[in-house]
Amino acid sequence: MHRYKFVLYRPLQFLPVLFGISLITFVLVRLIPGDPARVLLGTKSTPAAIAAIRAQYGLDQPIWLQYFYFLQNLAQGEMGKSILYKIDVLRLITTRIEPTLVLVLCSVLLSLLIAVPLASLAARSNGGPADHIVRFISTFGIGFPPFWLALMLIIFFSVRLDLFPVSGYGETLADKLYHLILPSLTIALSLSTVLIRSLRTAMIAELKGDLATAARARGMPESIVFWRHVVPNSLVPTVNLLAVNIGWLIGGTVVVESVFALPGMGQLLVRAIFSRDYMVVQGVAMVFACATVLVNFLADIVTVAIDPRVKQ
Amino acid sequence: MSETLLSVRDLSVAFAGEDGPRTLIDGLSFDLGQGEILGLVGESGSGKSLTCRSLVRLMPSPKLAITSGAVMLDGKDLAKVSEADIRAVRGRDIGMIFQNPTSHLDPLMRIGDQIAEGIRVHRGVDGKEARAAALDILAQVGFPHPARQYNGYPHEFSGGMRQRGMIGVALSCDPRILIADEPTTALDVTIQAQILRLLMDLRESRGLSVILITHDLGIVAQTCDRIAVLRQGRLLEIGDKRDVLGQPQHPYTQNLIASHPSMPERQALVVAGHEPAFQKARPLIEIDDLHVRFPVTGRGLFSGGPREFAAVKGVSLQVMPGETVGIVGESGSGKSTLARALLGLTPISDGHVTFDGADIVTERTKALRKLRRETAMVFQDPYNALNPRLTVGAMLAEVLAVQESVPRERIPTRIGELLDLVGLEREFASRKPLSMSGGQCQRAGIARALAVNPKLIVADECVAALDVTIQAQIVDLFRDLKQRLNLTLLFIAHDLAIVRNLCERVVVMYHGEIVEEGPTATVFAAPREAYTRALIGAIPDIDPDKPLLSPRGGDDFVEETPGFVTGDAS
Repeated sequence: MHRYKFVLYRPLQFLPVLFGISLITFVLVRLIPGDPARVLLGTKSTPAAIAAIRAQYGLDQPIWLQYFYFLQNLAQGEMGKSILYKIDVLRLITTRIEPTLVLVLCSVLLSLLIAVPLASLAARSNGGPADHIVRFISTFGIGFPPFWLALMLIIFFSVRLDLFPVSGYGETLADKLYHLILPSLTIALSLSTVLIRSLRTAMIAELKGDLATAARARGMPESIVFWRHVVPNSLVPTVNLLAVNIGWLIGGTVVVESVFALPGMGQLLVRAIFSRDYMVVQGVAMVFACATVLVNFLADIVTVAIDPRVKQ
Repeated sequence: MSETLLSVRDLSVAFAGEDGPRTLIDGLSFDLGQGEILGLVGESGSGKSLTCRSLVRLMPSPKLAITSGAVMLDGKDLAKVSEADIRAVRGRDIGMIFQNPTSHLDPLMRIGDQIAEGIRVHRGVDGKEARAAALDILAQVGFPHPARQYNGYPHEFSGGMRQRGMIGVALSCDPRILIADEPTTALDVTIQAQILRLLMDLRESRGLSVILITHDLGIVAQTCDRIAVLRQGRLLEIGDKRDVLGQPQHPYTQNLIASHPSMPERQALVVAGHEPAFQKARPLIEIDDLHVRFPVTGRGLFSGGPREFAAVKGVSLQVMPGETVGIVGESGSGKSTLARALLGLTPISDGHVTFDGADIVTERTKALRKLRRETAMVFQDPYNALNPRLTVGAMLAEVLAVQESVPRERIPTRIGELLDLVGLEREFASRKPLSMSGGQCQRAGIARALAVNPKLIVADECVAALDVTIQAQIVDLFRDLKQRLNLTLLFIAHDLAIVRNLCERVVVMYHGEIVEEGPTATVFAAPREAYTRALIGAIPDIDPDKPLLSPRGGDDFVEETPGFVTGDAS
């Protein structure tokens, strides 16, 4: 089991990464023009009121001192207080994290359910009509922006067919999942196009490779050649691609949550940016960054589990 | 010949190219007897692999097809049966093993499961029974601890054990015929001898018929009953091995046999002499207690201090100007590392290397300048060692311009001279490597080495990738150049027979140390060390009556790691 030893020490390497992320998000948020106090007070803003708000949230301090307090809070498991919502950022995030988390999970599962069969179909009919159709769809799919796709799905499935809700989030688990079908499908359709391309290429190479030749030479039926030897070997490169894309996807939920009015992290982030709610933006960015690091860590574990040759 | 099992009649295979079909195998007919080992011999492009793929209709490309002829097995024509029928033949009647076990075994699957898979599919038994049968096969193909090794993955085994594993996979469905496509080409000689011995044992114990594809006449002489010689898709001759090797009918076969490095005529060519001259001159190379160690990668935070792998451990060697020294040893013996350290390409951990009076450790800058101007290297793979985008002329001009050894305006003349030296037509100056054969590329590589006017040429396995007839030509070229240009040659090879032909002195390396050195004739005639004896004994001789590893003579040096590979030497 020494191959899994990295699971113990790899998290130590995350510390400098997270430090870097905190510094970058902290500085970038403050580069956005505008002032949270001004946004908060709106038309009622007077210089005195603005100064009072700024003092209340420590915004009048030098930036390096603000960062120091931010780190100090972070070390104690706190992310400060939201200027807009007037509550703890960490509490705010915990109320919003569930829809996003479930959305990402559903999207990834759904995209695999779409990508693996379609890529298999295309690879096995390499050059045939099925291959052309799948390649056409996946090339087309890359060209569709998710927000447009989301609107099309709403118009077709919700408005025309009245199968799914137009927007919002449910109360019970079943209701929640029901509300998440269209948002997940939107993300899954975009994600699967990337996966199909990678999987199809890897599968075609494996189907022509020595491994498949050797399996056929011992009389294995094509189904065993494919599912026992070609597919696992093709998944190895795709796992890492998937991890990179999940990282990108976590940020991508912002658009989909906005279109479907899901009360998740993405929506929270958008609103926080508009109102210059520095604390919330920092907090959400930190959570997104940690999630990305974590996903890549999981991908490394999965790679080690699939491929006995890999040592981390 | 015993009772005929498989009968090939007038088999032709064509490639459907863009400019019409091209016949790659042309009217091939031969029989394979029960329990017979038939050697299929030929150089690259002779169609020997394609022939065997055609027998079970496993074409490497959909553009290849059998155009005529029959492959008869048990009264069925395999060239015409349905796809389902041929699948039932593959594995169950005709098993196959390949040259490269690493790429033909599934890296993600346990070796035992790969054997069990075939048993389950073909015999329709349950997992437990298949496992028991697989354990039995693992033992038969020479795994010392089947129960433990069942769970090993291919990359955990050494090359020889992987090939045993692949033979096990091929045997899983109990075939009557085994097609072995260059099964030992990628292996060291001592391991090759063991795998060939295993194939012969399996023939005895199972009554297996074997078609053995090889380019090495020594292997067929040692293992086969009959030999078929192929060239350009045609069968030139077929017959009992003693007849074909003793009285070859076709001029091509005669040339093939004459090119084999173990032929006595070729061994007589070794230049004896100018030994007295060595005594007076100063050595060109002096290696004193050289150590080269590499850090082992992949160490974790908690696994303690850095670990090292010693590739060269205390080697001392002197090479006189004009001398030809062969360095032999199996993979991992440190012979290439030694050469790279000598040329300043690999950092030296300990000890001293002096080239023509300059110490490359203490006077690194001076020595490196000397080395770059006075030494050159010839590499194993002639295609990869040449820039595919440069013509041979441009490549030589580049070296000449950098070295500034000849005035700019004389460069074209010098290129012509260099091509003459290596026996290439002058028109090759305008050709690129991809339009040249392997032998021509290697000649161009040698011309590039000569362009620096070297005192020393280091040739690292430079004929290993070439066909035997081409090998012989390149070795002759080296012999000729050495005399004409008074070159010092360090010739690294795993092939002892070639070293025996070319070199005056031979150095045998094993696990980073020199185990034996001396004049070639002495070392080959009376090797002192058991390892050298095993190495020499493992060379398949072209004379069928000089048996391979006579009564298990290599037992002193059975494979180092019969089970799992230990350490991270790679």
